[in-house]
Amino acid sequence: MAGTITVNDCAMPWHSGMTVADVLREARFVFPLLVVSLDGRLVPRADYDSVQVPDGSRVDVIHLMSGG
Amino acid sequence: MSDPTATTTMTVPMIPVTIDGRQIEVKPGTTLLEAASMLGISIPTLCHNPAVEAYASCRVCITEIEVRGRKRMVTACNYPIRESLAASTESDATVRQRRGVLGMMLARWPNVPVLKEMGLRYGVAPASYSHPLRNEAPDACILCGLCVRACSEMVWEHIIGFAGRGATRRVEMPFGLQSDRCTGCGTCAYICPTGAIKVTDEKNEPVDPARIRKYGFRLTSEMATLDDTQCKMRRVGTAHLVEIMDAYDLLPTYNFRFGRHKDVERISSPVWTSMVRQNVPDGCWAGCQMSCAKAVDDFVPRTGPYRGKKVIVDGPEYETVAGCGSNIGVFDPHDVVEINFYCDTYGIDTISFGTACAFAMECYEAGVLDEGKTGGLALEFGNGSAALELLHQMSRGEGFGTVVGQGIRRMKAIFAEEFGADRHFLQDIGMEAKGLEYSQYISKESLAQQGGYAMAQKGPQHDEAWLIFMDMVNKQIPTFEAKAEALFFFPMWRTWFGLMGLCKLPWNDIEPADNATMKEPNKVPGHIEGYENFLSGMLGGEYKLADILEMSERVYNFQRVFSIRMGRGRRSDDRGPYRAMGPVTVEEYESRSERYDTQLREILKVEPEEMSIPERMALLRRYREEQYESLLDAVYKRRGWTRNGTPTPETLKRLKIDYPWVLEVVRARMEEEGSA
Repeated sequence: MAGTITVNDCAMPWHSGMTVADVLREARFVFPLLVVSLDGRLVPRADYDSVQVPDGSRVDVIHLMSGG
Repeated sequence: MSDPTATTTMTVPMIPVTIDGRQIEVKPGTTLLEAASMLGISIPTLCHNPAVEAYASCRVCITEIEVRGRKRMVTACNYPIRESLAASTESDATVRQRRGVLGMMLARWPNVPVLKEMGLRYGVAPASYSHPLRNEAPDACILCGLCVRACSEMVWEHIIGFAGRGATRRVEMPFGLQSDRCTGCGTCAYICPTGAIKVTDEKNEPVDPARIRKYGFRLTSEMATLDDTQCKMRRVGTAHLVEIMDAYDLLPTYNFRFGRHKDVERISSPVWTSMVRQNVPDGCWAGCQMSCAKAVDDFVPRTGPYRGKKVIVDGPEYETVAGCGSNIGVFDPHDVVEINFYCDTYGIDTISFGTACAFAMECYEAGVLDEGKTGGLALEFGNGSAALELLHQMSRGEGFGTVVGQGIRRMKAIFAEEFGADRHFLQDIGMEAKGLEYSQYISKESLAQQGGYAMAQKGPQHDEAWLIFMDMVNKQIPTFEAKAEALFFFPMWRTWFGLMGLCKLPWNDIEPADNATMKEPNKVPGHIEGYENFLSGMLGGEYKLADILEMSERVYNFQRVFSIRMGRGRRSDDRGPYRAMGPVTVEEYESRSERYDTQLREILKVEPEEMSIPERMALLRRYREEQYESLLDAVYKRRGWTRNGTPTPETLKRLKIDYPWVLEVVRARMEEEGSA
């Protein structure tokens, strides 16, 4: 059954086996300087591919800044 | 350099490795040293630093491994793991060989502390023979080559190198002479494990040069090891943002009407990476390893006085690509570079040219202008030839170039007075505030950035505050107070770079590896600490962030007082055109109708389907303009200003700039606004 997660305060469709990397890809978050937390816990960059996002969880993707 | 922790989208088969009986799986190509480090096992090194290529000159990392039943000795720092192996970092053979290496080095350099410490660790006795090249100096050069690799790989300069062979081998500049290319950046001195290289800083006479170099080298190391996975400033420069801004609907196209374009790939990073020269320092700042100022060599313009001749073009930066590319509908990288070249040659700012040209093009397509009024120039979006001709006319002081060259504020008046154009329409689409053209980001969905632009003292340039991600994407600053706090901290912090004559890019275009674990990663706390140390090391004493912000706040308030003295600095001066806040045309609204309709439904509790598009636009506009006024109130309050944006006498007193002539200026304005 399709569920929902909250990504940066916005609802996003959830699917079985969804990883942090999937969330970033589906949200089109392509900026390289990101800080990702899953239900308040920091997810290291090296774990984006392996950490699964449970249905109903809250993902915060903090985009830092760059550019002139 | 390999990044053993880098995330890849492809599934790479991992290799099982056993080190001192402990197991780990690593990606192919991971060095034995990196694998040991992941397990927390320390392998000694003298010539290794992760910021430069492994070299294996000192040999002390020598380690016994067993692959497919065969034992052998390898240098861990540069041994790439390609198949399963077992390593023994403290086996008899490993220790015996390390002792032999250290014994020879200590015989030649007996008093170098780092060698002595390592000798103690392995129980190496003082040499029983006299080495013919014995050097008693504690800061002797041990020929590890770290400095040579740092100058070459980190600074891209190749100034120092090895000279001589065998017993005469040494490190020096060409022909043993002081090179005038050396800026004294100190990278070699910092990376040197023995202190053999001394940098005498006679130019700025800092109180504590070692303290400054410590933080300078930290930044240098980050650039060398992290930039490829972060902003790619060394490869592309700020133009790496083109496709990123497009992905977030923030890349201005067709005079800031839209935020993305189907042809963005034609002006995105891979194009610029292939066009700009690689692996050379840019000469912008002595020793800066970011080297983000790029150059296109052997470029041949197709127009103007340099037509058909080879030239070097400085750039393009992100702002130039967006301003002189997507925002005027030009997606030919050659034309973008040519506009870049002639702007530089004529002394014209590429942001102002791009934004002014985009305004003229929209006026042309909206019927405000025609070929009769432009002197025959078909100023349609995408017409790179017309844009270039406009630029040449500006430089010669001829034709329609003399009109566009005056900037948007004056163009608006000319088009209204001489061509009878609708002033309101021109005001809405003319992307200027305080007489300066907007830089190249779409701010429609970020209220904080609308303030960051229109409230900036110099005009709508993003260098005071770039808050779009914090506000629009991260949703970190949802309240007016939070936005006002951001519009206090960032303008004050960034003003300080101007006060010091420093570039802002090393602050947050490269970030420490542990930045994500910090409480406020957007501020890059590790780098703020570096700047505190830079200032303290430069001047002596201890300066903290609060001191830095106060320095800026004083100057910032002075700037406001100067503006007031010049008859400006009013609330009305801090408002931008509506194009920076929302959709001006039906076409713009319809292009993102789902977004706008949702906002009407969820925030204003109306049913958009029951309204015409112009009715929806009017309602949205009223809401957004009210929001902006509330933002102004909150920011002025945070800054200690009146509702009209005048610094209060109390604020001036707190900042110790309440000089009589300053108070006179603000009191006169406060009387005028009725808030005295």
